[in-house]
Amino acid sequence: MGVTKENLEASLKAKLNPSHLEVVDTSGGCGASFVVEIVSEQFEGKRLLERHRMVNAALEEEMKEIHALSIKKTVTPEQWKQQQEANQSNAAA
Amino acid sequence: MSWCYCAKPLTLPPQLHSRASSSSSFHSRVGGVTVTTSTLSLRPSPPLVFTHNLHFQPKIKRASTTIRCASALTPQLKSTLDTVIASNKIVLFMKGTKDFPQCGFSNTVVQILKSLNVPFETLNILENDMLRQGLKEYSSWPTFPQLYIDGEFFGGCDITVEAYKNGELQELLEKTMLS
Repeated sequence: MGVTKENLEASLKAKLNPSHLEVVDTSGGCGASFVVEIVSEQFEGKRLLERHRMVNAALEEEMKEIHALSIKKTVTPEQWKQQQEANQSNAAA
Repeated sequence: MSWCYCAKPLTLPPQLHSRASSSSSFHSRVGGVTVTTSTLSLRPSPPLVFTHNLHFQPKIKRASTTIRCASALTPQLKSTLDTVIASNKIVLFMKGTKDFPQCGFSNTVVQILKSLNVPFETLNILENDMLRQGLKEYSSWPTFPQLYIDGEFFGGCDITVEAYKNGELQELLEKTMLS
């Protein structure tokens, strides 16, 4: 019983083919609360709302048991690269 | 999307209890669906009260598991939601009320809207399970809060926060308030 970080990762990988994926269990171990960051080509040309809908759909089964899910990032590989570069230049400055 | 299941029993500070219990917004559990919004809009308009006592008899009370399987979005509820969303430029379906949010994610959206100084209506989905289940179908969105702007579903907490940070929310609200 309970959903694990691995469950979420498996579903997201299978359905959204992410090039980067980070799932953090913020529940303190009970499997009720997660934060998700996902980079996928499938987000290309989609509005933020549609991207979130895609993540919701991918996690439809798990959602029944999760109590809190925060989707922090749904970006395309291109956006991800830009963000990484921006972060690096900020760090260097 | 951000949301949580913090459906704690409703506890109010004692001094607020008498005021709250006399308010019609707390009667929905007994009387079927009573959707009451306090109107804060700049233009004077009558407060919206939708009562569908006839359509929501207590027969559904003990059948919460069946509701989830069957459709909670009855035609009556759908038309009520259509009306609420069409007659208010900004509507937030949330856990708790504007003044007493009962969930951190709902609270976040309330604080954002308050900080932008726009009039908005809130509906407490914890008070009515029919409304809560029906809205998930209506919006095709599994969780709360749910924000509607200018008749359209805008998003949950994460989307609202992101749009607030990048300025899109402010832009849209400005346009909406002028229209």
